[in-house]
Amino acid sequence: MSAEDPNPAATPTPCEDTQGDGRWISLHNRFVSDSKDKEPDVLFVGDSLIQLMHQFGIWRQLFSPLHALNFGVGGDATQHVLWRLSNGELDNISPKVVVLWVGTNNHGQTAEQICEGIMAIIQVIKNKLPNARTLVLGILPRGKSPNALRERNAKVNKLVQEAVLSLPHASFLNVDPDHCYS
Amino acid sequence: MSGDDMNPAAVAQPVKDLQGDDRWMSQHTRFVQECKDAEPDVLFIGDSMIQLMQHYDVWREVFSPLHALNFGIGGDTTCNVLWRLQNGELQNIRPKVVVLWVGTNNHHHTAEEVAGGILSIAQLLTSRLPKAKIVVLGLLPRGERPNPLRQKNAAVNDFLRSWLPRLGQALLLDLSAEFVHSDGTIGPQVMFDFLHLTAAGYRTMAKPLSDLLLHILEETPEEKRASAV
Repeated sequence: MSAEDPNPAATPTPCEDTQGDGRWISLHNRFVSDSKDKEPDVLFVGDSLIQLMHQFGIWRQLFSPLHALNFGVGGDATQHVLWRLSNGELDNISPKVVVLWVGTNNHGQTAEQICEGIMAIIQVIKNKLPNARTLVLGILPRGKSPNALRERNAKVNKLVQEAVLSLPHASFLNVDPDHCYS
Repeated sequence: MSGDDMNPAAVAQPVKDLQGDDRWMSQHTRFVQECKDAEPDVLFIGDSMIQLMQHYDVWREVFSPLHALNFGIGGDTTCNVLWRLQNGELQNIRPKVVVLWVGTNNHHHTAEEVAGGILSIAQLLTSRLPKAKIVVLGLLPRGERPNPLRQKNAAVNDFLRSWLPRLGQALLLDLSAEFVHSDGTIGPQVMFDFLHLTAAGYRTMAKPLSDLLLHILEETPEEKRASAV
């Protein structure tokens, strides 16, 4: 592979409707529409881990009061989030903080590629929302026992954590329950 | 009527670990282990529609009290559920009712094949648990607006409507109508991604389902005899 090959994790890509019910684009369209109507102070964006947050009581207790919007889509990888944010979901809103949680679905890609994807998202947010801070959540471990995906996710976190150190508009937060309580 | 080897939706198949963290097998192993300790009256089995149920309050409030076990795994097809049931998830348990909800993920099969796969599962359950009632939940509509998958899921339900009564122990509970507005759209209040149910969505289907389960459980001959003493 040459250094010139584009990184799929950092190339804005919509999700193909392979199943036939258009749900991904329906969700994207709803988020674009929400961007026109709502005025969030905090925007949550990412994959199912963000999306599912919205379904539990904790959202109403902790995040609704912050005037938060939830743009999570289950199954999304970095390239999908990149596409969504580049195609309307950041238009017309000016949140103070964007919480970004994505990367665990980037299958077949290296930790370096995934990190680059996350950094590309941070850049798009910076371009569209010059006054917003991006808070990147560390990707959680997965699987019952140690496995290659855990190693990959941990490596992504390490790379991202280092990369945002030099960025005044972004920071990293490790939300692994084991880490928090140690 | 499908349900034989010619139907790909009726061929038992485990899920391959393509991602690399073996979560499907870990969940199956955990369910087999649960069968050794638990004595459920109601077994829930299927895909994410069953699995997600247990993470909302409605599970603790309505279904747990019935002594229920939840063997749902997100993404499962009829083939995967069939494999799990043939490989330990029915060992040592004697539920009075099995609630089966699967089929919406069978993307490579026709409606008739999917219905045949569900029928095969019902037949397996009936042969392993001769005294149990099988409640098959109809496939819900999906997608924000009318689309081919809605037609397919409705067709599966139509096949089941005519095939299941021939099994005697099995019946269909089709709650599709509860989820579609008069203009044909499905709202995010009941399905947050036009497929999976919200807490409110589960509450909508929990009432008719729990009414049915209570009715079935009350009919158990053993309980009738016990209460007659």
